[in-house]
Amino acid sequence: MSTDLTAIQTYLSFKLGDEVFAINVSKVLNILEMKPITKVPKSPDYLKGVINLRGTVLPVVDLRLKFGLAENKVTVDTNIIVISIDKEGDTIMLGIQVDSVKEVLEFKTEEIAPSPSIGTKYNSGFIEGMWRVGENFIMILNIEKVFSVEEIIDFKEHLTETDTLEKAIK
Amino acid sequence: MDSFKEKFVEEALDLINELETVLLRIDKNTEDKELIEHIFRIMHTLKGNSAMFGFILIDQYTHQLETIYDFIRNGKMKVSSELLDLTLASVDHIRNLLDETNSSKPEIQNTHKNLLGRIGKIIGNNQSVPEKKTEIQVVKEDLKTFYVHFKPSVEILANGTNPLFLVEDFGTLGEYMAFPNNDSLPAFEEMVADKCYTSWEILLATKDDDQKIREIFIFAEDSCTLEIQELSDTNLLTVKGFREKITGIGALHKKIGIQKIKELLTSGEKSASKYDNVLLRDINDVANKLKNISSIRVSSEKLDELINLVSELVTTQAGLSLLAEKINNKELLAVAEDVEKLSRRLRDNTFGIRLIPIENMITRFQRLVRELSHELDKEVDFIVEGSDIELDKTIIEGLIDPIMHIIRNSIDHGIESKEVRQKLGKPKKGRITLKAFHSGTNVVIKISDDGAGIDTESIQRHALKKGLLKPDSSISRKDLLDLIFLPGFTTTDKITTISGRGVGMDVVKRNISDLRGELTIETEINSGTEITIKLPITLSIIDGLLVLIDKSYYVVPLSSINRCFEFRHEALVNAVNNLIYIDNGHVPFAYLRKEFGIKTTPPDIEQVIIVEYGNSFFGLAVDNIVGEYQAVLKSLGSMYREQDFVSGATILGDGTVALLLDPNKIISAFTYKLEKAELN
Repeated sequence: MSTDLTAIQTYLSFKLGDEVFAINVSKVLNILEMKPITKVPKSPDYLKGVINLRGTVLPVVDLRLKFGLAENKVTVDTNIIVISIDKEGDTIMLGIQVDSVKEVLEFKTEEIAPSPSIGTKYNSGFIEGMWRVGENFIMILNIEKVFSVEEIIDFKEHLTETDTLEKAIK
Repeated sequence: MDSFKEKFVEEALDLINELETVLLRIDKNTEDKELIEHIFRIMHTLKGNSAMFGFILIDQYTHQLETIYDFIRNGKMKVSSELLDLTLASVDHIRNLLDETNSSKPEIQNTHKNLLGRIGKIIGNNQSVPEKKTEIQVVKEDLKTFYVHFKPSVEILANGTNPLFLVEDFGTLGEYMAFPNNDSLPAFEEMVADKCYTSWEILLATKDDDQKIREIFIFAEDSCTLEIQELSDTNLLTVKGFREKITGIGALHKKIGIQKIKELLTSGEKSASKYDNVLLRDINDVANKLKNISSIRVSSEKLDELINLVSELVTTQAGLSLLAEKINNKELLAVAEDVEKLSRRLRDNTFGIRLIPIENMITRFQRLVRELSHELDKEVDFIVEGSDIELDKTIIEGLIDPIMHIIRNSIDHGIESKEVRQKLGKPKKGRITLKAFHSGTNVVIKISDDGAGIDTESIQRHALKKGLLKPDSSISRKDLLDLIFLPGFTTTDKITTISGRGVGMDVVKRNISDLRGELTIETEINSGTEITIKLPITLSIIDGLLVLIDKSYYVVPLSSINRCFEFRHEALVNAVNNLIYIDNGHVPFAYLRKEFGIKTTPPDIEQVIIVEYGNSFFGLAVDNIVGEYQAVLKSLGSMYREQDFVSGATILGDGTVALLLDPNKIISAFTYKLEKAELN
C-alpha cells in the first residue's frame, strides 16, 4: 500500500497552444480565472505584471512568452495557476498564465519516460519526462528549473528534441 | 526541554543586555546604590537560571562575579573603572557562553580562565584586608519632611493654571515625591474635559519652612485647598524601604492620607506587626501587577500575521467605502464611515506595536564610545537626545551597523587627540551627539562631533590621485563630499584596525537607502562633522500621491514631493533641453510615458510633479493626479529585482494593484541616460 502511494504521482495538466504540459500538484496552490493585471514598466514581456491575490501582490508570468511562443489572445479558458517554488533558497509564489487548464492526472513513476537526452546542448532539465496518452504525449515540466533562469527559454529547441523522442518511442 | 532552553537563552540575553545598560550608567555615577543593587539582582537571577538549565560554566562564572558585587553592595569595595572593564568583558563572555557550541572552543576557554583569574584576584585582595566595620555615615542635614495635600478646585483649569506645573515647582525646594489621586474622578459619561478632578499628595524634604511651600501656591490659593503638615525633622525619603513602600501604595492612585504614612513609618520599626504584612502584600501585589502588564513577549511572526490581516482589512474597508458611495445609501454611508475610522485606528495601533524606542540600540553605541576612546586615549562624551523616539524594529536593527561605523569614524578621525584639542583651544573632552527627532512623517537622526571635520581639499587630492576627478574639472562642495560614499574611497594614509580601509561609508549609505532612508553630510574644518539620517517611521506604510499614467495607477511618496503643475501636452513634448519653466526657474523633467515605453495617446493636459532631488528639483510628468493615498506597502518580490525604480506595490480600494515609484531611482537613471547621450 505504502509503496503504491509513493509510486503514484499526481499532476495538473494544462495547454499552451496544442501542446499539453503537466506540473506536480504539490507545487500548485490555486487556479484563478483571468483578472486585470498591473503591468510593471520596463520589465521583460513574459513578466505580465502583478495581480492582487487576497491582499498579496502576486507576479504573473505568461508561460507562452517565457517559452518563446507567440502571445495568445485571452479567452474564457485562459487561467492563472498559482504555484509556489523554491528559488535561491526562498519560497516564492507566482502565477503562470496558461491557455487552459485541463485535468488532474495520476500516473505511476515507471510510466514516465525519462527526459530527452538527445541534443544535450539544450537539455537543462526543464522537462522531467514524458507521459504517453494514446497517440499524444504530455510533457512533465520541472517548474522550478523553468524559473531558475531569467531569460526566455527557447522552447522550440526543446520541441524538436521531444519530437525526436516521440518518434523514438513510437 | 529544548524549548525551555531556548526560552532561557532568550531571557538570559535580555538580562545581559540590561546588565550592560546598567553598567554603562554606573560608569557615570559609581556611588549609586540602586544601580549596584540592580546589578546584583541581575547577576543573581542569571546565576540561578543558568544552574537550573545546566549552563554550569555561566553558573560558576556569575557566582564569582556576584561575590564582587556583594562586597560592593555591603560597602567593602568601591566600583572602579578596572572592575567595570572586567564586568563588561564578562558580559561579552557570558554572551558567548550562551551559545553552547562555543563553550568547548579553546579561545573561549582561555578567556574563561583569564577572566576568572582576574575576578579571583579582586576577591582575594579584598578578603585579605581585615574586615573594616562599615560605619553608617549619617550625613547631618537640616532637612525636614513635609506632607502636602493639594486639592485644586474643579475649575482651576479655567483660570489658566496648570496644577502640574505647581507640583513640579516643589523641585525648587528640595527632593519630593508626588502621588496623584483620582478618587473624585466621576464616571466617564459625566466627565467634563476642562475640569480638574485630580488632587495630589506630596512628600517634600526641604530646608525651608511651610511658608515657602505656600508661596508656590500664591497665585492659586483661591482655587485650591491646601493642607501642609510637618511629618518629621529628618529626611524621610532616604529612610530605607520607605520610598519603595510608599511608591507601591501611590501606584494605586488613591488617597494615601497622612495617617497611613505615619503608620508606615512606625510599622517600619515594628516590622513584625500584622498590619505591615498586609500592607506589604498589598504593595507587592500592585508591583507585580504593574510588572506583568508592562510587556508581553510575542513572536514577530504572529505580529507580521496580524499586520497582514490588518492591511487586508484596510483594503477591504476601502472597497466598502467605495461601494457605499456608489449605492449612496445614507445609513450604509454612516456605517462605512465608522468602519473606516475604526480600521484606521486599528491600523495605526497595530503598526505601532512594531515600533520600539531607539533607546534599544543606544547601549551598544555607549559601549563603543567607552571602549574605543580608552583604546585611542581620547576623552569623549557621548550625548543622546530623543532616545524615546520610536522606529520600526526592522529599521532599528538595520541602523545599528551603519551608526556604529559613523561613530567609529568620528572617534578615530573626527575627535583629535587631547594635545591637539588643547592647542586648538577646544575643550579637552571631545563630544559626540546623537540626536533623534520627528520631522513630518520621518524620523531624523543627527550624529555630530566637534572634531576635526573633513578636509574637502584632501578629498579632492585623493580623488585626483585615484583618477576619479579630472584635474581641470570644477566640482561642487556637496559633490566632493559625496565622493566619500564611493566604494574604496579613503583619505587617510594610514590604515588602523578601526577604520581607514575605505570600506564603510559606501556600505553605510547603501544600508541606509535599503531602509528607504537618506543620508547627508555636513562638515567644517576644525569644528566638526554632522551626519544626518532621515528615515521613515515604518517600512510598511507610506504617505503618497496617487497618480495615473495610461490606465495604471502609481504612488509617488509624498515626502519627496514639492509641488504639482499642469501643462499642455505640446508644451511638454516641445520642451527645449528637457526643461520646463516654473515660477522663475528652469526645471528638468522626465516624461514618464516615454520612460515607461507607453505608446497610447496621452491626454491634452498633463501634470508635472516637482520632486526634491538632492538640493535641486526635478519634474515627473504623469497623466493625472488622483489624490493623496496612504499606501500599505507590499513587496513586489524577487521577480522584479531589475525594476528598482518601483520600490513596491499597494492594493487600492477596488482591489487593483498600484505601483510605488522611487523618484530618486527614476531621476538618477534618467540623468545617467542623458549624460551618456551627450557623450555620444
